[in-house]
Amino acid sequence: MKKWLASGLICVMCASLVTPAAAEAKDYKVAMICDSSINDGGWGAACYNAMVDACEKNGWTYEVSDSIGQNEYYDSIAAYCSLGYDMIYAPGNQYTDAVLQAAEEYPDIAFALLNGGEGTPAQAVNGNVTSLLPNATQIGWIAGALAGLMTESGTIAFIGGMELDTTKAKYAGYSEAAAFVGEAEGKTVTCIDPPYAGSFDASDKGIEFAKALIDNGADVFFGDASAVDSGARQAIDEANKAAGEIRIFDIGQPADILGQNECIICSQVTDNSAMISTSMQAVENGTFGGEVIYGTLQNGALSAGALSDLVPEDVQAKYKEYLQQMIDDTFMK
Amino acid sequence: MNFVTNLLLATVRMAIPILFIAIGEMYSERAGMVNIGLEGLAAIGSLVGFLMCFITGSTWLGIFCGALVGIAVNMIYAFATINLCANHTVYGMAINIFAPALASFIYRVYFGKGSDLSQITLMKGLGIPGLKNIPLVGELLFNQTPMVYLAFLLVIFTAVFFRRTRSGLNYRAVGENPKAAATLGINVIGVKYLSCVICGALAGIGGAYLTTCYSNTYTEGNIAGRGFIALAAVIFGRWSAGGILLACLFFGFCDALQIRLQVAGLGIPYQFFQMIPFAATILALTLIGGRKLGPKAAGKPYRKEER
Repeated sequence: MKKWLASGLICVMCASLVTPAAAEAKDYKVAMICDSSINDGGWGAACYNAMVDACEKNGWTYEVSDSIGQNEYYDSIAAYCSLGYDMIYAPGNQYTDAVLQAAEEYPDIAFALLNGGEGTPAQAVNGNVTSLLPNATQIGWIAGALAGLMTESGTIAFIGGMELDTTKAKYAGYSEAAAFVGEAEGKTVTCIDPPYAGSFDASDKGIEFAKALIDNGADVFFGDASAVDSGARQAIDEANKAAGEIRIFDIGQPADILGQNECIICSQVTDNSAMISTSMQAVENGTFGGEVIYGTLQNGALSAGALSDLVPEDVQAKYKEYLQQMIDDTFMK
Repeated sequence: MNFVTNLLLATVRMAIPILFIAIGEMYSERAGMVNIGLEGLAAIGSLVGFLMCFITGSTWLGIFCGALVGIAVNMIYAFATINLCANHTVYGMAINIFAPALASFIYRVYFGKGSDLSQITLMKGLGIPGLKNIPLVGELLFNQTPMVYLAFLLVIFTAVFFRRTRSGLNYRAVGENPKAAATLGINVIGVKYLSCVICGALAGIGGAYLTTCYSNTYTEGNIAGRGFIALAAVIFGRWSAGGILLACLFFGFCDALQIRLQVAGLGIPYQFFQMIPFAATILALTLIGGRKLGPKAAGKPYRKEER
């Protein structure tokens, strides 16, 4: 009896060895690293939610390490690579060096770099890096056009976390669009030089920046600074409360966060989920790497979120016209 | 309100959490306990303060629990350095590594991996009728949250305690010469433990202040070096309550100034302004910190039987 049992087990084991691996459904896994918190009510939260959405759509499992320091970028990525994750999702230009280093050492793993540079995929020696690149100038335009319409003081503000290329491009788009729209409305709109917190976590810096900017006359805010933006919104809400009416506004990004704070009148929305999903499908098809996936108003990856009741109907109509011009590529031309 | 008024208001806002932590460190060092784990104590105090306030809606309970957890975590340092005569620096650093990680763990356990922004209602301001209307001074000193008044009262109490009372003298004796203090019948071990209780409580309160009176959200790393700045403030303030108050206001002023200058549109790269607090700290410590004025037995283990 024992001999028959042993022989049967050996047969089963041999059969399992010769069964083609391709027949099994592969369980794909993605890991996200982030230096801000996924509860920051801004960038970190939006990027995390985009990954979760893409995973649900494609049947992937996910893991995240947030609030990591700059010295932990590479180690966190390498740890996930060692654990056999199929894709590393790094939402930010600041991870470029760590991603390129890990991509060289782990050639079989896909690296999706949100806000990566256009030339970054070409720098990866193994061709396993893809940049997901929302058009930062258009992001700035979406917020800037509304700021130009809504400002009464003619002074608007932008708060930065770190001086990244994408942040600078958003600021440039924001200030030029506001100035253009403001001029069309018969007013001069200027954007105060952007202050930088030097981090994405310092909500206290956001509070102090916003208070200082309000003192300098700013009445519409936009930012690219994660939790720093949350601090700024707190200060704006406090200023509005002290004034007894909402006269200072904030434009959120990159998810639709209307209602999170009283001062938010609209959000610039980036559909990172679609770009991540495209990357996941490329991994499954074995075609991942070496490309730039653009996110624009034209392909629907960028848009404006819902508008608050604080934006008058006639302003809403004008804003929608400007958005259409952006989509038609006739804005500021 | 003009530039100067706003700058001074920002100075007070930014100095208060450092002041709580620094005064706590002063109590610690005056008993010979050099606790460099302030950053960690403030981090755990910040998280627990936020969590309690989030759950109960009471900022005072948040502050109280922040103090309690600060004491609890600091007892690790106290036991290791007082009973086991371990190195103060090593255990201080251990607290700095352990406590923020514990805070991060508790936050994750409670809030999970959700991405919702958790916000609380901050402690309300308490303007003192009549006094709050005095130009500049009124807004600065008499139209703040109760915690700001408490911080200033703490400075006065600490100054009187160490300078004008017998208990304060006995307390200082422990930090200067514990063996001599013991021969006079002072309970050296008891004073050292008391110093750790006070330091833990005040550092915890400093952290909890950030999340119950300053920012209505919690982010990991929100202490942002305040524990280390508080250490510098104790040295800069020459281990006296008044000196520490001035040092904290100085550090708060430098930070507030760099923020105000960044948005002033002066056309100077922002990195230059960001450098101001660090450059001022180095300069101040170079000028002031040269002379050793701290307790003579600071950081040294106390062994009762040792000759």
